[in-house]
Amino acid sequence: MRKFVDLHLCPSVQDVDRVKRMITKCSELGYRVVGIPLTPDIGQEKVRQLQDICDSAKLDFVTRVDFFSKTPSELLYDLRRLRRRFEVVSVVCGSKPVARQAAKDRRVDLLSFSATDLRRRFFDHAEAELSSKALSSLEIDLAPLLSLTGRSRIRLFSRLRRELAIAKRFNVPVTVSSGATNEYLMRSPHDYAALTTLFDMPLSSALVCLSENPLGIVMRNREKLSPNYVAPGIRVVRRKKLVSPRKKTIPRN
Amino acid sequence: MDAVWDAVLQLFGEYGASQANLTLIEYDPQKSYAVMRCSNKALGMVRASVASITKIDDKPVAIHVLRVSGTLKSLRSGGGVKTD
Repeated sequence: MRKFVDLHLCPSVQDVDRVKRMITKCSELGYRVVGIPLTPDIGQEKVRQLQDICDSAKLDFVTRVDFFSKTPSELLYDLRRLRRRFEVVSVVCGSKPVARQAAKDRRVDLLSFSATDLRRRFFDHAEAELSSKALSSLEIDLAPLLSLTGRSRIRLFSRLRRELAIAKRFNVPVTVSSGATNEYLMRSPHDYAALTTLFDMPLSSALVCLSENPLGIVMRNREKLSPNYVAPGIRVVRRKKLVSPRKKTIPRN
Repeated sequence: MDAVWDAVLQLFGEYGASQANLTLIEYDPQKSYAVMRCSNKALGMVRASVASITKIDDKPVAIHVLRVSGTLKSLRSGGGVKTD
């Protein structure tokens, strides 16, 4: 049975009631894993609180951070500082240099682009080629599709159709997330899969983008962040206790 | 039901709406659920249209498809379409 994942649930973390309602709704809709974007300076108590809320709703909680870097050097600084603190790292690419740097970097899991300003969507052939080598995924949030109307939605559909074709050609994995900020923008995985057919994504691929692709990112990063990880394919199985050597006394003659 | 028709028309036009063959079978306002019938081939289209509804009479709503089945008997035992 598929495990559906929503890696981009966006409640306001300060509003605990809303977080509880949205996480409960997420569980009712059939998701098993949920990722909530956190601020880099978030405290461990808050993370534990979110973990507890997810445990009571029988959901697996994934810590995620979204970078809004303005320059490539700022992105590199953020990655160096924060990569090991969060399980999923997403870069919201506001400029072309940042998009290129994020696509090249193997530490970036998800590439996000603005849904409202189509001039800030930089996912083209060059970007796709870079991200296919670095194993980063293209993330598509579906909440803007529900909020936008008229021509802006039509333009977004046509842009997404083009980007999906590019992603398919270069074998770039695609992750579909909700991006929901309230309960009214949340839908079940099958409803989201039906919405993706509006920009020519086959239903079977949509279900993979809602389950296996994001789950693969989470499992891969959890393995890398575990204390037993050494290198790809190498991990510590058993640790031996070191015994302190006995002091050798040399007899005096 | 008007909201569903409007959503199908907005997303797929009159040609798409004509393929859907949408009918309301039953609606329970107290339990907030409805049972609708549509063409089997247009199921994805109708599902996307229902999912795209965010407002009815300027009030925010979310409509979730609970179950899809070919018979009314199994739907009534399991549930149909629920509104929030």
